[in-house]
Amino acid sequence: MTAVSSRDVVLRADALAKTFRLGFFRRRVEAVKDVSLEVHRGEIFGFLGPNGAGKTTTLKMLMGLIFPTAGRAEVLGLPVPSLSAKRRLGYLPESPYFYDYLTPEEFLDFIGALCALPSAERRARADQLIARVGLDHARGRPLRKFSKGMLQRIGIAQALMADPELVILDEPMTGLDPLGRKEVRDLILELRKEGKTIFFSTHILPDVEMTCDRVAIVIGGRLRSVGPLGDLLSARLLSTEVILRPPATGLAMMSIPPGARQYAAGDRAVGLELPETADVDAFLRLALGAGASVLSVSPRRESLEDLFVREAQLASAGSGAAGAAAARAAS
Amino acid sequence: MSVAPAAVTGKPQALAPGGFMAGTVAVAAIARNTFREAARNKILYSLLFFAILLIFSALALGELSLNEEVRMTRDLGLFGVDVFSVLIAIFVGVNLLYKELDLKTVYTILPKPIARWQFVLGKWLGMLVTLALQIAVMGGVLALVTVAQGAPLDAAILKALWLLFVNVTVVTSVAILFSSFSSPFLSGFFSLGVFIVGRSVPDIRLVTARVGGSVGRAVDFVSYLVPNLHLFYPSGAIVGARQVSIHGQFVGAGYLASVTAYGAGYSLLVLGLAIWIFRRRDFV
Repeated sequence: MTAVSSRDVVLRADALAKTFRLGFFRRRVEAVKDVSLEVHRGEIFGFLGPNGAGKTTTLKMLMGLIFPTAGRAEVLGLPVPSLSAKRRLGYLPESPYFYDYLTPEEFLDFIGALCALPSAERRARADQLIARVGLDHARGRPLRKFSKGMLQRIGIAQALMADPELVILDEPMTGLDPLGRKEVRDLILELRKEGKTIFFSTHILPDVEMTCDRVAIVIGGRLRSVGPLGDLLSARLLSTEVILRPPATGLAMMSIPPGARQYAAGDRAVGLELPETADVDAFLRLALGAGASVLSVSPRRESLEDLFVREAQLASAGSGAAGAAAARAAS
Repeated sequence: MSVAPAAVTGKPQALAPGGFMAGTVAVAAIARNTFREAARNKILYSLLFFAILLIFSALALGELSLNEEVRMTRDLGLFGVDVFSVLIAIFVGVNLLYKELDLKTVYTILPKPIARWQFVLGKWLGMLVTLALQIAVMGGVLALVTVAQGAPLDAAILKALWLLFVNVTVVTSVAILFSSFSSPFLSGFFSLGVFIVGRSVPDIRLVTARVGGSVGRAVDFVSYLVPNLHLFYPSGAIVGARQVSIHGQFVGAGYLASVTAYGAGYSLLVLGLAIWIFRRRDFV
C-alpha cells in the first residue's frame, strides 16, 4: 500500500472502543473493540459487517452521538466531536426519520440554518439538492407522505446541505428497491467525481464491489481487514465453471475430473464446476474430441462474499460465542 | 437520482462554526422548528379550544351571580388560562426531548455543527414562544369578554397573565429536566407533582412550622427545593402587608420584577441541570 500523507487522511479512528453496561446487573457488552482505520481524500470507503457487527455504533462515535470508552477520532485533523469537524462532514443516519410535518424545502432550510448557512444560500442550496435527488415532484408535500426511498433521498440531500468534504452514510441502500440502490450508487460515484470522500456502512456486498476503492470488514465489534478490495481478495483460483452441450452419447466418454459438481444449465446444456486441482485444458480437449459443444468457461476467484464468510468464520473460531453475543447486543 | 443535471456547485458560505452568530442562528432554527411542530399539533388546538370554552362559560355562570359577572369571568378565566397553560407546558415539555430520541430525529440533528446545549436551549425557547402565544390568545379572549361585560381593561389582567407565563416557564423547565432522563409518563407525573407541591408551598411551610421536629424540618427543606409557584398566582395572598386581588389592588412592578427574576433564575438552573444530563448521554 502506498504511503498517504497526513493531509490526505480525511477520517482517522484510533483504537476506538465502546463498552455498554446493560440491564439491572450492568452487564458489560463490548460493542466495538479497538477499531483503527484511515479514510483517504477522494476515496469511497466501504465499512462492511453483518447486522450487529458494531458498524452503526462506530459511526455514532464518529458523529459524537455515542462517547467512546477508549480511543479517539479525527476528521480532517480536527477532533471528533467538535463543531469545526462537524461543519465539514455530512451524515445520513441508518433508517432516517425526519420531522414529518415539514416539507422538503422547510426541512432543508432548517438543516441549512443548523449549518449556519445564510438564508438566501439555504434556499438556493435546498432547491438544487431537491432537484439533484429527484424529489422535484414532491415539493410542498409533508415528509410524512414520503415513501422509504424518498426519505432516503431527502436524507442524502440533508447530508449534502453544507457541501461537506466528507460524506458519511449509514446503510444508505437499505430498504431501497434495485432501481433506488442503483441511483444511490450512481450518486456516490458522482460525489467522488466532485472530489468528496465517501465513507459508508453496508452489509449489501454487491454495492461495495461496484463502488468502493477500499473496504474495512468489522465482525463482532473488531476490525478484521482493511484495504483495497484487490489486495484483500485472494487471487487464487477457486474453481472453473464449464458449461457445455454434451454429445448424443452423453457425458460418459468425457472422463469428468474427480470432485467436479454437475448441474443442469438449461436447453440441454450441462454445467460443471471443476475443482481448482482439475486439468481444465485436458478436460476441454477430451470434451471437444467427444463431440461436445463448449458454451462457456469461467474461472472463479474469491469474491467479496467469500472473503466476508471467511472472515466471519475466522472471527467465530477465534472468539467463539462471546463475540456473537456482543455483536447481537451491539445491534 | 444521480442523473439529474442540477449538480450543486460552489462552496456555500457558512458563518464560522462555534461563533456567536452561527450559534444564535442554530438555536433560533431549533426554536422555530419546535414552535412550528407545536403549531401543527392538533392536540394543542383542542386544549386551547377548551380553555376558550371555559372563558366563555364564565359568561353564563356570571349571569347566575348578582352583579358579579366581571369578577366571575376574571376568576374563572384566569383559572382556565392557568390550568390549560400548565397542562400544555407539561404535555409538550415532557415530550420535547423524548420525542427527538424516540423518533431518532436527534441522530440527524446532533451531527450538525451545533452543540448539545444549543439544541436543548433551542427546544426550550421554542416551547416558551409557543406558550407565550397560547397565553396571549387565551388572555386576549378573556380581556375581550370582560370588556364586553362593561369592565375597563386594566393592567391587573396583563400582570396576572405575565405571572402565569413566568409560571409555565418554570414548569416547562422542570418538565424538560425530568424528560432528559425518564419516560414521558413518569416525567409528566413528576412535573405535575412539582406543580401541585409548588403551588402549595406557603401552606406546606405553615404546616411544617407547626409540626416542627426533624420531619417538619425535612419537609420544610424540600419546600425550598421545589419552585414556589404560589408566587405566580398571588391573587388573594398577602403581599407587602396587604392583601392583593385581581379585582382591586394587584401587585406592583417591584413584585413583578422580583418574582420574574426568581422564576428566570430557577428555570435557568433547572435547564442547566437538564443540559448537563443531556450532554452526558449516549444516543444508542
